[in-house]
Amino acid sequence: MGTRTWSPRRRTGAGGAGRRRIDLLSRAALACLVALAAVAALGQAAGLGGDPAEIVGGRLLPPGPEWWLGTDSLGRSMVPRVIEGVGTTLLLSSSAVLVTAALSTLLGIVAGYRGGAVNEAVLRLVDVLYAFPSIVLAVLVAAVIGPGRTAALASIVLVTVPLMTRVVRAAAASVARRDYVTAAVISGARTPRILLRHILVNVSGTVAVQGTYALSVGILVEGGLSFLGLGVQPPESSLGVLIQQGGVYMVAAPWLLLGPGVVLVAAMLSINVFGDGLRDRLEPRESRSLT
Amino acid sequence: MRFASWWIGRVASAAGTLLGVSVLIFAAVRFMPGGYAQIVLGPFATPGERAALAARYGLEDPLVVQYGRWIASVGRGDFGTSLLSKEPVAAELVQRLPVTAELAVLAAVAAVLVGVPLGVLTAVRSRDGGGAAAGRLASGLGVSVPEFVLGSLLVFVFSRYALGLTVGGYVPFAADPGANLRAMALPATVLAVAATTAVARTTRDAVMNVLTEQYVTAAVARGEPPWFIVRHHVLRNAAVPVVIVLTVITASLLGGALIVEYLFDLPGVGSYIVQAVGRRDYAVVQAGVLLAATVFILMNVIADFVVGVVDPRLGAAARNGGV
Repeated sequence: MGTRTWSPRRRTGAGGAGRRRIDLLSRAALACLVALAAVAALGQAAGLGGDPAEIVGGRLLPPGPEWWLGTDSLGRSMVPRVIEGVGTTLLLSSSAVLVTAALSTLLGIVAGYRGGAVNEAVLRLVDVLYAFPSIVLAVLVAAVIGPGRTAALASIVLVTVPLMTRVVRAAAASVARRDYVTAAVISGARTPRILLRHILVNVSGTVAVQGTYALSVGILVEGGLSFLGLGVQPPESSLGVLIQQGGVYMVAAPWLLLGPGVVLVAAMLSINVFGDGLRDRLEPRESRSLT
Repeated sequence: MRFASWWIGRVASAAGTLLGVSVLIFAAVRFMPGGYAQIVLGPFATPGERAALAARYGLEDPLVVQYGRWIASVGRGDFGTSLLSKEPVAAELVQRLPVTAELAVLAAVAAVLVGVPLGVLTAVRSRDGGGAAAGRLASGLGVSVPEFVLGSLLVFVFSRYALGLTVGGYVPFAADPGANLRAMALPATVLAVAATTAVARTTRDAVMNVLTEQYVTAAVARGEPPWFIVRHHVLRNAAVPVVIVLTVITASLLGGALIVEYLFDLPGVGSYIVQAVGRRDYAVVQAGVLLAATVFILMNVIADFVVGVVDPRLGAAARNGGV
């Protein structure tokens, strides 16, 4: 299949044999993220730590051999609640980022390749959305459609679409000026084929890097919104909900805040470090010393 | 007069964005599920009450007319009245704005003072393996600790152990500067961490780009010492992205203010908006969101102006139709 395409795929895109892999730190970050996701998915499926809604013992018990992360204000064990929270947060953010990636890639490559009025329209739309600070936009969404999962999901999409579309559009516009695209046009390829086989393939690395960053923005938005009481609603738990509830009993039971807080920071850190590594790998920059 | 026409274009484009923003906010509130009348009167209003409300606010008029009326009153400085307190929203905003502004200025100043040197240092030392990894982890940590986590943690530490700074208990600066700063130190620190990281990362990228220029190679070849090169060849050339990132910071400060003011119980614009959403006070939400977006758009125009001054080449390129 690849023999007839003119695009030098080898320049970008992930994977492939004989190429430098991302560095150790980034691989460790990716492993950490995969482990978190696995614990969340398998833990919920296997009922690890028991039923998150079940009242198992005394209230606000500190972490110990029986309750590893302590118990909350109603006497529920924190382990299954944190697992459920990570699961909800990761599921919400990653599904929102998938929607964003699809939308932004479509808007970005069409606008970047076609230019002209389409480009202007996309840029104006992106500018308007970009003018809202992320949490402010999320709060507006929650005010309009009501607090809940849907509000969190829609907020993440609306916050990340302008960020990602801008970068993908710029990348697509620069690819669109390459000789191999001109060659494809001259050889009579139709627009959808050019977009898929030449533009999309060559901006896929950018989409991957931006998608990683969007995931961390998504977790931030979900957490912030739920923390303000406008995102995921109790009794459902997400990391933002747990941190908000932990804040209430902070002085009496700091572990309610520390458990979910540490997990959230670990998830964010893994995503951001991995994203940086991916960017350095796909869009390498020179470095030099001054001596 | 290319210069003037470029500026007119830039301001017109900002005005266009603002128009789009206002239409979006207007539409969001008007097309809310349940409708405007139900929001104001609640679900148990009689048809008579609904009709009276519709007549009073002109809800039967075409949407364009309603939108025009809203924008005209905003232009006169009238942001409507709070649905709950029946007080004018504008008066409340004027009272609360200084709190948010002080918070944002404190955080932004700290971010520049710490972030720029940090970014330069990590860029110049980027070849040093262990140091580079540590820098990456630290910068990763800075963007990975959200305001609500760091803020909650600081509230815990400072309310449990008396460490001299107050949690909550806002005092106006004019009334008692010392008490004001003690109350503002923690929320400003929380906001500053994320902003500092953003400044440091952007500075690092910008400096690393400048370091690969040929004039830096020439300076190294002449045997100029590293910090001389940084000061004379690098800083000004790396200034443009740093000025631009300041606008991004403004956005994160305005958004972060919502969380930090809510958490530290500060009487600013952010906590006003959050409370209003909880009480379904849409006049306040509408005004607050419009204000935040307007400030952000204005900051972008100012940043473009500063960039044009700092780097005349960019200004010239933009005026000639490039960029």
